[in-house]
Amino acid sequence: MQDYISVPLVGFPIIASLIIMATVSNLSEEMREKMVNPIRWAILLFSLGLLGWTTAMFYNFFVDLNGFEGIAFNNYEFHKRYIWVESLGIYWSVGLDALSFPMVWLTTLLLPITIIATWDEKNGAFYHPLILLMGGALIGVFVALDLFMFYVFWELTLIPMFFLILKWGGEDRKYAAQKFFIYTFTASVVMLLGLVTLYFLQNPLDPLAWSGTMTGRTFDIPEIVHYATIHNSGGNWFLGASMQKIIFAMLMLGFLVKLPAVPFHTWLPDAHVQAPTGGSMLLAGVMLKMGAYGMFRLPLALFPHALEYFQLVLMAIGMVSLVWGSIVCLGQTNLKKMVAYSSVSHMGVICIGIATMQPMGWAAALFMMFAHGIISPHLFAVCGAFKHHYHSMEIGGMRGMAKHSPWLATSMMFAWMASLGLPLLAGFVAELMVLIALWHFLVAEGWSVLWMVGPALVLAVTAAYYLWSMQRTIFEGGDETQPPASMDGQPIPDIANHEKLAMFVLAMLTILFGVMPWIALDMMNDWSVQIFEGLIMPILGNFNGGV
Amino acid sequence: MSDPIINVELFDANFTTALCPELILVAGFFALMIIPNLGKATFRIPGTQIRVPYFLGGERYPIFANPRLPGWIATITLILAFASVLMSFDGGLKRYMIVSGSKELLLINGFSRLFEMIFFGAIALAAIASMNRMQSFDSSDKSTNALYNNRRQADFYILLLTTAMGMAIVALAQDLFVLFLGLELASFSSYVLVAFHKESKEGTEGGMKYFIVGSVASGIGLYGLSMLYLWAGTLQLGELAVAFDAAMAPQGYPALPLIALGFILVGFGFKVSAAPFHFAAPDAYAGASSPVAGILATASKAMGIVGLTRMLLIVASPESNDDSAIWLVALGILSVVTMTWGNIAALGSDNPKRMLAYSSVAHAGYMLAGLTAIGAWNWDPELAGHGGDAAIMVMTAILFHLVVLVCFKLGAFLVLSILESEGEVSKMSNLRGLSKREPLLAVSMFIFMISLAGVPPMSGFMSKLLMIMGIVKVAIGNMGDAIFNGDLLSIGDAHWVWWLALIMVLNSAISMFYYLRVIVTMYFHEPEGDRQGPLPSGWQVRTAIFACVIASVFFGINADGLIELCEMAANSLNYSWASQ
Repeated sequence: MQDYISVPLVGFPIIASLIIMATVSNLSEEMREKMVNPIRWAILLFSLGLLGWTTAMFYNFFVDLNGFEGIAFNNYEFHKRYIWVESLGIYWSVGLDALSFPMVWLTTLLLPITIIATWDEKNGAFYHPLILLMGGALIGVFVALDLFMFYVFWELTLIPMFFLILKWGGEDRKYAAQKFFIYTFTASVVMLLGLVTLYFLQNPLDPLAWSGTMTGRTFDIPEIVHYATIHNSGGNWFLGASMQKIIFAMLMLGFLVKLPAVPFHTWLPDAHVQAPTGGSMLLAGVMLKMGAYGMFRLPLALFPHALEYFQLVLMAIGMVSLVWGSIVCLGQTNLKKMVAYSSVSHMGVICIGIATMQPMGWAAALFMMFAHGIISPHLFAVCGAFKHHYHSMEIGGMRGMAKHSPWLATSMMFAWMASLGLPLLAGFVAELMVLIALWHFLVAEGWSVLWMVGPALVLAVTAAYYLWSMQRTIFEGGDETQPPASMDGQPIPDIANHEKLAMFVLAMLTILFGVMPWIALDMMNDWSVQIFEGLIMPILGNFNGGV
Repeated sequence: MSDPIINVELFDANFTTALCPELILVAGFFALMIIPNLGKATFRIPGTQIRVPYFLGGERYPIFANPRLPGWIATITLILAFASVLMSFDGGLKRYMIVSGSKELLLINGFSRLFEMIFFGAIALAAIASMNRMQSFDSSDKSTNALYNNRRQADFYILLLTTAMGMAIVALAQDLFVLFLGLELASFSSYVLVAFHKESKEGTEGGMKYFIVGSVASGIGLYGLSMLYLWAGTLQLGELAVAFDAAMAPQGYPALPLIALGFILVGFGFKVSAAPFHFAAPDAYAGASSPVAGILATASKAMGIVGLTRMLLIVASPESNDDSAIWLVALGILSVVTMTWGNIAALGSDNPKRMLAYSSVAHAGYMLAGLTAIGAWNWDPELAGHGGDAAIMVMTAILFHLVVLVCFKLGAFLVLSILESEGEVSKMSNLRGLSKREPLLAVSMFIFMISLAGVPPMSGFMSKLLMIMGIVKVAIGNMGDAIFNGDLLSIGDAHWVWWLALIMVLNSAISMFYYLRVIVTMYFHEPEGDRQGPLPSGWQVRTAIFACVIASVFFGINADGLIELCEMAANSLNYSWASQ
């Protein structure tokens, strides 16, 4: 089969952006200014090309889901494998399944939208290539089917994001960028040790396929998952109970910090508040999902016993993230910080979805990843517009912007409504499914369904802070518009056309996936059911009423 | 590697083939002494008017009077030596043992060849980079100052060559006495090299400190050697290994060799700058000119590792399965202390050279952790399984680390060297705005920093990954097999060196802080007031930096070839685990 992934989706964006940046860095200041326009048009076209490529993949192979191998558990479409480091069993191995494809498509979608939304970011000759580089690295994470390659891209995403925050960020950007880097790096080196330990716990006397010539073990994910599934069956624990729990915990640490879940979430608000708009959009839109994606790809597939063992812990982490994220939101006076904490609470929803251990909960978590990936860039684009045009994001500092900036007000209202889970918008579908899966879980475990009150109440709190902030900034004040003090009495502009375009596209997609969620949800559902039937049912039986 | 080792007597048929790189060094050494002195000197035969020219001294010929000439001679010599090592790999490496009667002196095999490459490569890069570092004057300038400065050029490069020679001898030595000779040759040259940086106040002070602490450490090491000789009656590595094996048997080690081993550990511990013997290192690095500091951080460290490997892994034999090797625990503790201390001290240092010095202390800790793991290869006959493979893997990781360290650690020092040619580099703020002044240098430094920190896909990540993998492989051994035969095992059942890997990864996270600080300073601070615009310096040092950048990235992305080379070298260590 042709290789549809390595070159067009991973190699091309990374190499093209590196070449552009290297060329630009040798130009004089004036030439750089002149080159901004051609560069951003080129990058926009590149990224639209990527979007077209992944959309074509969707139409060719995914619409007719029965023909899509990636739906079945541990099967991958477009799977290609090349030798990388033979002695250690490292391969450049890429493929897509219904877990990774929506994420890849989301990344390629957000690239052009981010570029359009932040069309005139300063120092654009470096900014736009950096966004493209970020996109290439993110896609690399999602398509990697080799633990080493996965880890390489996992870390590689840090570098462009670090520079995006540091170069284009706000006042406190140095602190935020370093905190972001060090938090996630620390967690991921622990994860790396977990991966290496897992690697060496393969049986050397009976080596798997694709094993290294020097070590007799392999980094190949499909091979390891297959091997783990065999050894997890019949009441056995792959690697034995205590070992499985330890490695599960080490991997989960890396993913939970990235997600981020309380209590590892403190890097996120700092990073978001200081990051430029484009950085925030990609950070919230795709980068956080790397954590959830990683959980599905490795711990869940390899260590279902340990997942069941830690089910309540994960549930508790999810609940606490959900509740704590919303409560902290209530106290924020900074628009962007509020949105950042709302991300924490939505990531809690994903955690809960995974912890229900129901196919529906998993599908809901997958759809939440996807929906949040469309809604949160919208939120951050709005915040960025506030910052860009009013030089302030203080909720208390402005009143009645709807009168002066109808476009911004409309966009904000739409995004806020989408994020609080208005029916017929994408976020609602995911939240509803998680609640249903949670209900199933509670009934099956014999717990009181009163536990549902928590998440339900939180949704009310969410509505409260969103409505409150919206009312303060755009509605209140009536005829007496109060622009933020930072405007210094200048006329108040509405958002620019390119921002309108980006926000409009995101809004349309939010509606599209809210009204017709099955476009994406079908494959997620099928995949969840397949992994549940292929992985959980043989091991644990049809326990706690899995649907 | 099936060829037998060829024994070579002094000046035998194979002598020049075997010792070709060292002979090139000797030739270069003489060339350095003679060529800059070639002149129109004549000698009048007493009682006559006949003047016989003898060419040494007098008015120098113009081509030989160029003050840059010694730099070129040394560089070419080192590159030739490096090339001759490379050539020896052509068509399968032949192994030679230089013997004198029944005494084995020098062993030439994959292991020592690899180290020769490290030494010559690092010193050649430093020599290239030093070429326009030291002040020189036109040869027509006859002032004392000019003559003096031009004269220093030759001295400096002679010392570089003797350092290379000493290090090569350490790598080859099969006799502790020969090893000590090489060690001292390299050490004394490097003491002088450190103090050679007379442009800065710290140079002399650093050299003095380095000399005093270094000679005390050597003295202690020498005392250890003499005790070993007292105990075994020999300093031959092979015979010592046999003696250790015999002594170990049921009753455990006798005290004398253990104390001797401890003393020797101090001597080599200083060379690798392991805590708590590292105190002179930051002063020496900060005082020395940057290329010399780069040599200390890479080649000199590799020399210490050779010594430790020979002493601990060959002589003192690995841990038996009854956990009796005391040195293993000591080395484990030493490695943890070293890496943690190095990283924490680096956090607080504002001088980039001291920061790099502490980071090299931390790297020494990682390598000591690797050596500990090798010692543990045989920890449990059931669980360790093919422990020998694991030991080879750790050794491969250490060698790989030493090779790539030359790329990014030396490279970082060379970037500082360019900055130094403009003025002092004793504060982090001297690096400010480098990205605006010299974008390419800033990118190079960025690559070196993230490589040092071990961020993929740089070679530093590969070396760290290999080290972790090696340690974990030793610790896990055959547990995979045992688990699938139904044993319930946990991390607690693995060998305790697994925890060294955990401490190592946490340490590499700590190290992120100070490497990031360099990047932030270069990219996000405006240049200091009087330090604006591009830096003065020639193309030579830039070429060296460029080579380092290429290698740092290349060995990260395409590591297979180097891993195989290192594995071959590790295999040739010819030590009991290789045969298992």
